[in-house]
Amino acid sequence: MDPHDPVPPPECPGFVDVSVRLTGFDEFTLRGTGLVRLYHDTTVEQVGRAAVGRFLDDLAAAGGDPGGLTDEVSRDIARAITHLWYLGVWPQLSRSVHAALGREKPNTAFTVSPEAYTEGLVWQTFHGHPPGAKAPGFGTWADPPPGAPAPARRTGEDAR
Amino acid sequence: MTAGPARPATPRYDVVVVGAGLAGSLVAKRLGDRGWRVLVLEAGTRTLDSWPGHLDALDTAHAALAKVPNAPYRRNPAAPFPDVLDLTGLPDGGYRADGYFLQNGPLPYGSDHLRATGGTALHWMGLAPRMHPDDFHVRRAYGYGRDWPLAYDDLEPHYRAAERELGVAGDADEQRDAIGLPFPPGYGYPMHKIPRSYLDSVIAARLDGVRLREAPDAPETTLRVVTTPHARNSTPNPGYDSGRGHRPRGAVGTPNYGERCVGHAFCVPICPVQAKYTPLKTQATWSDDVTLVAHAVVSRVLTAGNGRVLGVEYQRYDDPASPAHTTRTAEADLVVLAAHAVENAKLLLLSGLADASGQVGRNLMDHPVLLTWGLLDHPAGPFRGPGSTSGLECFRTGPARRDRAPFRVEIGNWGWSWPAGSPSGDVSRLLGITGDPSQPRGKGLFGARLRRELGHFVGRQFSFQFAFEQDAESRNRVTVDPRHRDRLGIPRPVLTYDLSDHVKRGIASAKAVSDQLFRLLGAEDHTAYAPGTSAPGWFRHGDGAFEFKGAGHAAGTHVMGASRADSVVDPWQRCWDHPNLYAVGCGSMPSVGTSNPSLTMAALTLRSCERMHRDLTELHRPAALRLPEGRP
Amino acid sequence: MTEPAVLAEPPFRVPRDRADLQLFLQAALTLEHLTIPPYLTAMYSLRPGRNRPASHIIRSVVLEEMLHMTLVANLLSAVGGEALVADSRFVSSYPAVLPFSKEKVPVALRHFGPEALETFLYIERPAYVAEPPGHPSVGEDDGWTSVGQFYATLRAGVLRLSAELGERELFCGDPARQVGPADFYDSGGEVFAVTDLASALKALRVVTEQGEGADGTVFDSDEELFGETRQPAHYFRFDEIRRERAYGPYDTPAGGPSGPDIAVAWQDAYPLDPGAKVAHYPPGSAVRRAADRFNEVYARLLCVLQAAFTGTPAVLRAAVPTMLELRALSERLHRNPHPDPARRAAGLHASPTYEVTERHFERARAELALRE
Repeated sequence: MDPHDPVPPPECPGFVDVSVRLTGFDEFTLRGTGLVRLYHDTTVEQVGRAAVGRFLDDLAAAGGDPGGLTDEVSRDIARAITHLWYLGVWPQLSRSVHAALGREKPNTAFTVSPEAYTEGLVWQTFHGHPPGAKAPGFGTWADPPPGAPAPARRTGEDAR
Repeated sequence: MTAGPARPATPRYDVVVVGAGLAGSLVAKRLGDRGWRVLVLEAGTRTLDSWPGHLDALDTAHAALAKVPNAPYRRNPAAPFPDVLDLTGLPDGGYRADGYFLQNGPLPYGSDHLRATGGTALHWMGLAPRMHPDDFHVRRAYGYGRDWPLAYDDLEPHYRAAERELGVAGDADEQRDAIGLPFPPGYGYPMHKIPRSYLDSVIAARLDGVRLREAPDAPETTLRVVTTPHARNSTPNPGYDSGRGHRPRGAVGTPNYGERCVGHAFCVPICPVQAKYTPLKTQATWSDDVTLVAHAVVSRVLTAGNGRVLGVEYQRYDDPASPAHTTRTAEADLVVLAAHAVENAKLLLLSGLADASGQVGRNLMDHPVLLTWGLLDHPAGPFRGPGSTSGLECFRTGPARRDRAPFRVEIGNWGWSWPAGSPSGDVSRLLGITGDPSQPRGKGLFGARLRRELGHFVGRQFSFQFAFEQDAESRNRVTVDPRHRDRLGIPRPVLTYDLSDHVKRGIASAKAVSDQLFRLLGAEDHTAYAPGTSAPGWFRHGDGAFEFKGAGHAAGTHVMGASRADSVVDPWQRCWDHPNLYAVGCGSMPSVGTSNPSLTMAALTLRSCERMHRDLTELHRPAALRLPEGRP
Repeated sequence: MTEPAVLAEPPFRVPRDRADLQLFLQAALTLEHLTIPPYLTAMYSLRPGRNRPASHIIRSVVLEEMLHMTLVANLLSAVGGEALVADSRFVSSYPAVLPFSKEKVPVALRHFGPEALETFLYIERPAYVAEPPGHPSVGEDDGWTSVGQFYATLRAGVLRLSAELGERELFCGDPARQVGPADFYDSGGEVFAVTDLASALKALRVVTEQGEGADGTVFDSDEELFGETRQPAHYFRFDEIRRERAYGPYDTPAGGPSGPDIAVAWQDAYPLDPGAKVAHYPPGSAVRRAADRFNEVYARLLCVLQAAFTGTPAVLRAAVPTMLELRALSERLHRNPHPDPARRAAGLHASPTYEVTERHFERARAELALRE
């Protein structure tokens, strides 16, 4: 960032850029969850700044394509950040990666916050909503989801 | 209040109700409305009837890794309850049980319950079908299980009363035509039926009218997708109650909130907008004559020695995390146990009561559930609306019952969440994350490919849930073991559970039906049963292997009958051995049919309330000065 | 900031014929709607999971405003009129001047905070004076002084015309056009059909008393009208947020709230530009697309309401899903930083602008036609 630029960039630009590559969702959608800062901080807290740095370097070396990551630690970090975005859950790391990172915390999965669950991206992949939040309204379940044909009508179907 | 040397520690009531769940709340409502002084003792906490308590439960559920039925509700060491996660399958079959229940049966009892105000019905699905008239005499008609001392017709008016109290949405004409349920002429449910899901319509379009044989030599059955009645706010029926209509009940704990179902797809474990009926809605209308005391774990029913009961002993605690508690008693003319089938049996056993027949705790039943799952050839709209809005009802009765357990087929609107933990399991799998962290992980998909793959896969998921009638067997039972006690020193329940061959044959038939359904639907069948951690209910039968789950429908443990020789309660759910002790709830059911049991339990309870009222009235009638009659 | 928009007000007099009354009712409909975008903006600007009590309060008010709109539309249909909703003239641009009031208070689309609250309190402020025009205490050429006075005038007009024309003649609308409880019910009262003088007066009572309170009290009349738990009227519900304290059962408007504390985290909202316009978002940007999409979905909502209010009440069911779609779009916008560098530098976030044009209505109609 240019030190003379008076306009601060949006929050965590680097993390968002990487997350776009990992998730396949655009920046607007990711920021639209309101969870960029929380996910950034969770990642740093879980694997440490040094590992995040190596992961970013590896990703850059792979031309920005997470599929090209060869180092297993960086690859597992890629899996974890993606898992976080899709489900709001920081997953268990692979046992060897957990050891390699020398983490001093238990290697257990946890939901980052109640809102993280409700902002999970997985629901958007099939035009759904997280159960228990963002309900779409009475009777909407009767409509065809996007991309589905209208069901053939038969006698005695729902009039309402 | 009486003056004089009364014992202030032992307040007297007309009725003590043990348990503030569905049955207990209805009893307190009915008797309180008639002016009887009712004390309701609830073992758990009562945070859930406040708005902050409700929001906390919702947050807890959102933050839970597994959205199991008890996910929203805080563990309570003072009043422990089981969780479906207590069971673990072993690598080669068999299971291990941790948690509240001790289990020693060949197969695991896979259902949970909840001890808190509102009870297990806080996390029920809200399906409210009636039982089939045939379900009340299975021994006489089909040669298995036990018969009710009542018939459908005896219960019919009470079904209507229960449908009013619970606010049921349904289509009586459809239930009559498709299932053969008798209703009085012109009857309509309080609310119009819940709209069927898109998935229901697709399945109906491909299956309605199709004739199928469950085995090559079996008679043909005609398939029909039928809408299920729900205790869930829908569109009120203006013609209900002779044109008086029905006003849906909103949320509890906050003014003027709550509405019709908005499709949260979270009925289990908790309805965020409280469109679904819970006992808390009934409690909100209790009269001032009803007193609720929570944090009160009843440990014993007290008897007078002449067969009559005096009241109950209970353990009162303040801090659920502390073992500290005080022992208290409450006296009443009538004691009503409404603590859940397992807890009622436990209490009777701990008190040494009502067991002249030797049947207390026996005949434990559930609705064993077989799941099958697959992918539609186009988006199915999963994870929308109530868990199930329609089903196939054609396997619920008929001559085939002689050979195999009957079943109801629920069309599952929530993808593979129950059979496969979707969509979390799908995300992990596609990312290459294996269940065991010591195993090497796959390369994994990222970015647009991951997103597309998930959408294509999860978006087509659907499942069938086959719920079987389990026959009453005396070997399936609840006992208590004084060597294993809970935090307050109360012995924990020991469950011995298995499935009869009758049920296993039903499961095998259902699987054969499922295979045909998937073929007829042109859907990809992904059903597979393998032993392992997440399959405690895996078993072999004949040439096949299956896995069943619990439905949360515990029943039978204080079975009702026509004779005191072989049953625990009489047709009024009154203990044969104790004229002023009732045990109400699903525990009284001699058979459970294939219907989700809550509506029937509510109907049965409302019927019993009339008898309780008469009992109390007789006790208070001055002319009925009771002379010793030498009754047992 | 641009000059606030001024809404057309009907003439300062008691409605003297049917056409006059219909004009007044259309104005009432526009007025009820005017409040909805500012309330929604404040509610959806809250950070995820934060300020739940405040969010709950604003939500309850918004739902009752929707109820009011529907009741006014029912009344308009009942007297033979036709509501006009799906029209760019129906949606004011913001900021707008609150009509029918002496002080020219601007109503803007603000994020949750003290300034938004002040506006809300002004909108819902009880009118303790406000006799209708023609009353000896009101001068001939005085203009409107309050919303309460406007509704009092409407009421006087309904009474007068019912007496002049006869009740049956005044309420000549087709009963099939009435939206009823089967089509819309929710928290805080229910919709009922307006078919005669009594139901017309009841509808007006709900509209005024849910907002300002009944007879100089803190509370509305839901208990009496709907058999529901009474709750503080809108003004006092907003006052609870401002004062961070709930009203208790014995509290009075003069005494203020003495109930339990309400925790309000004033900083837990995304700061928004109260003068936000789509034109401020760079063409082709994701924020621009989302803001445009929002206006289109809002146009669809109004099309649904238009159909529901003018002959097909059952389609009102589609309004709730559309509202929920708007919520998702709105929240997503609010959580994104403003794409304009200067505004972002000021810490501002993107927001929907409620600039609904004929172009949006055309697209919304086309979308609805596709779904048929």
